[in-house]
Amino acid sequence: MARNEPPTDFTVENPSAPLLEVDDLRVHFNTDRGIVKAVDGVTWHVEAGETLAIVGESGSGKSVSAMSILGLVPSPPATFPTGDIRLRGRSIRKMPEKQQRKLRGKEIAMIFQDPLTALNPVFKVGDQISEMIRVHQQVTRTNARKRVLDLLGEVGIPNPGVRINQYPHEFSGGMRQRAMIAMALANDPSVLLADEPTTALDVTIQAQIMQLLEKLQEERNTAIVLITHDLGLVASHADRINVMYAGRIVETGTCDDVFYRPQHGYTFGLLSSLARMDRSRQARLIPIKGVPPSLSHVPPGCPFHPRCRFATEACSAELPPLESVNGGLHRAACIHSDQVALAFAERTAE
Amino acid sequence: MTTPPQSGQEPDTHVPAEALMTTFEAPEPDAEVAGNGGKEGYRRKPGQFKEIWRRFKKNKLAFVGLIVVAILMVIAIINPFITPYDPTEQNLANTNAAPDGAHWFGTDDLGRDLFSGILYGVKLALIVGWSVMLLSMLVGVALGAISGYRGSWVDSIIMRSTDVVLAFPYLIGAILIVQVFGNGIITVIVALVVLSWPTAARLMRGSTLSLREAEYVEAARSIGASDSRIVVRHILPNAIAPTLIFSFSHIGVAIVAMASLSFLGIGVPADIPEWGNLIADAVPYLKIDGKSHLWVFPSAAIVITTLAFAFVADGLRDSLDPKLR
Amino acid sequence: MGKFIIRRLVHAILVVIVATFLIYLGLFILGDPFSSSGEKTIPPDIQDALRAKFGMDKPLIVQYLTYLQNMFTGDFGIDFEQRRDVSTMIGTALPNTIRLAFAAIVIELVIGLLAGIIAAVSQYTFRDVFVTVITTLAIGLPVFVIGIGLRSLLSGEGIFPQVPRSFTVEVPWWQEIILPAFTLAIVDAAFVARLMRGSMLEVLRADYIRTARAKGLSERRVIGRHAFRNSIIPVVTYTGVSLGALLGGALITERIFEYQGVGYLLVRAISQHNNPVIVPLVVFAVLVFIVMSTLVDILYAYLDPRIRLH
Repeated sequence: MARNEPPTDFTVENPSAPLLEVDDLRVHFNTDRGIVKAVDGVTWHVEAGETLAIVGESGSGKSVSAMSILGLVPSPPATFPTGDIRLRGRSIRKMPEKQQRKLRGKEIAMIFQDPLTALNPVFKVGDQISEMIRVHQQVTRTNARKRVLDLLGEVGIPNPGVRINQYPHEFSGGMRQRAMIAMALANDPSVLLADEPTTALDVTIQAQIMQLLEKLQEERNTAIVLITHDLGLVASHADRINVMYAGRIVETGTCDDVFYRPQHGYTFGLLSSLARMDRSRQARLIPIKGVPPSLSHVPPGCPFHPRCRFATEACSAELPPLESVNGGLHRAACIHSDQVALAFAERTAE
Repeated sequence: MTTPPQSGQEPDTHVPAEALMTTFEAPEPDAEVAGNGGKEGYRRKPGQFKEIWRRFKKNKLAFVGLIVVAILMVIAIINPFITPYDPTEQNLANTNAAPDGAHWFGTDDLGRDLFSGILYGVKLALIVGWSVMLLSMLVGVALGAISGYRGSWVDSIIMRSTDVVLAFPYLIGAILIVQVFGNGIITVIVALVVLSWPTAARLMRGSTLSLREAEYVEAARSIGASDSRIVVRHILPNAIAPTLIFSFSHIGVAIVAMASLSFLGIGVPADIPEWGNLIADAVPYLKIDGKSHLWVFPSAAIVITTLAFAFVADGLRDSLDPKLR
Repeated sequence: MGKFIIRRLVHAILVVIVATFLIYLGLFILGDPFSSSGEKTIPPDIQDALRAKFGMDKPLIVQYLTYLQNMFTGDFGIDFEQRRDVSTMIGTALPNTIRLAFAAIVIELVIGLLAGIIAAVSQYTFRDVFVTVITTLAIGLPVFVIGIGLRSLLSGEGIFPQVPRSFTVEVPWWQEIILPAFTLAIVDAAFVARLMRGSMLEVLRADYIRTARAKGLSERRVIGRHAFRNSIIPVVTYTGVSLGALLGGALITERIFEYQGVGYLLVRAISQHNNPVIVPLVVFAVLVFIVMSTLVDILYAYLDPRIRLH
């Protein structure tokens, strides 16, 4: 930043800012085993109409970073040593709680992994969706109900008139997720956070749900942040990808970039351990050796180095910054990114 | 949730399971009770008892409770030797005396030494408490396991029986049985057992049902193990925990029930220095100064005994399955 | 929901039939309820009247049916002691018991629910620990220890009526009811508090609470509507059953405070071997209990729709 620029005021909206922006977010938990750094310096953004995928294993921090956006991380025990989250340039974290609450479900909505446990079992589905609407908009019960029927139809639930009075356990898994989506989109949010939306579902239903999300995104120009560990899902539905490991982003870029030209040891490991149909004869599958680190004892330097086949001494010394090789938007936090790229190219050539 | 499914039309690209291990929390150094490595769910090994004991000791209340229970047991066993006087020996010249050097707890309205009476009450309470617990557990576990494992009409009959017994409020049922069969300690024990076995049976049935479908049971069945063998060796040790915990916490309830019955003049004959009887005898003197020892000491005895067993039961629950907490 | 209700009702009726039969078996067959035995001598004319009323000279089946008929029409005959009409005796005592039962339930719910919710919402703070400790201790106290203690400490002091007292002393019902109601409520309140705390802690960890917050609901609505509705279910079950037992007569408490309810009636009847009073009271207590348990089951299914499939 040039020295003469006036400091940016993050309490008002900034039309030129990205729709949703996470800036150097850190989420640390105080536990009796030490400080767990669930999210440790994460920066990304998403624009209207695009789908950003955040990929990582359990414990990589992907869910926590999403939940922090909505303020769903209980604090204590969580602390936020640094970082900001901004919607259209306006800081969410600096807002008083009441204002943050107004955003939840209205500007930013979230759908969760297991729709059976994510919906309240003792209330009718229709009532739960209706509640979403009436909390944020001044509508009568009858009008809200009409809107719910429309929504149920939009997400492809047959017989909405009957379903609206049923309870979550009377729905099938796929229909429950559709209902959750209907609920999330009831107030036409600008951003939809989808935390493992298809993990708990059957394979065929997964595809349907993702198609539904895409269709709705097209119609409403919603930004979607897709949090998942399923690379296949990402490949077919995301525009850009952040790969997370141990609370940090280790690689980011477009789908093509990351899938065909990975530049981080971890991404390489992920992709190499997958069986792929587009290879004639399977090269050896290379699993990633070792286990992900405990987040209270993250290895020094690059957190992945103990398991990385490209690691050298230098990797444990300092944390590599997330930067691009050729100046583009494809960035990786690896000092051996050229080696990685080379090794990957060799593998795919087999 | 099993391994992550693939995404529809794409080439198989799912991340291998080992990469998905959750390590947000470091794994506990001590292994969990049922499910040790390869011999999943087999009979509890001796090493597990040590583990249970270790966890139990950590719970201070439970440990204190256990010590108190041990003391009570000792009192009950060596009872004739530690009572300064014969608990039933009356001395009508010295009734309702306040505590003094000769009679540490004073005397009751028949001139009996209250201290000896209370100690005698310990023996009575423990006999009844343990008998009820063991017998109701025996019946409950047996019927519950059969009910859960066999199912069909056996299950129906046993469950309907529990329904009928449980339809009687506890005291009313006990009173009814004692009315029919006459007073006496044995009748009281029988009555309490009859009223307690249904809950034990239901708990046992519940855990049997869930374990019946477990994989190791399938395995045992597939190698031709007979039904009874399966139930006894494989299901019982693991399913028994909830029933055990319940029965233990029920000891206090049984003791209080017996005292309640004798307080009302039912069950234990009125001339036996049982705590309930003693308190009943104290009722006419409640508002009279200097006579509070008549009800305070028996009441304290009941409370201490009940709490001790309750704490032990709590500790047992926490140490048998920490997840239940 | 309708099918569920019918199933439960049928089940309840079957249990009633078996239970009343067992009572009949115990009291009539395994012993002649109207004979003189031991210490009690019953005037022969009363004895004959009762035997006739209950058809004791007729075949067993007729006896049983007569007994059933008498029980359900409230025709209980005359008691041994004072030749009073038993149904009138019960009719006078019953409203007292009902009042006491509801008073106790109200007190225990108010105290227990508040304590439980506060403890759950501020888990691990001093308030929570305080509640946990107190409830643990309260549960270890038998009802009659509490009753005796309260009576010896408070009866005759201030607004608390003297126990025992003669019939000539008029005491307004609300004064009379305080000590017994609290005696009953203390232990139950402890149970309710623990149940509510445990239930709420579990519920607060559930995914749907997170969803409720993600919807932008105020914390008050999240707890007061979503969490509460789910956590209250075990409490409802427990309290309903409690009420069922109390309506049958809180034997011990009524005895301690000489509170003229059906419980006290039963206790006195037992010591007097006054069978014409004992039989209907026992039947009543059991019936009320079964009815309440059935109602509780139905209410549970209403509160938790997942059960209705069962």
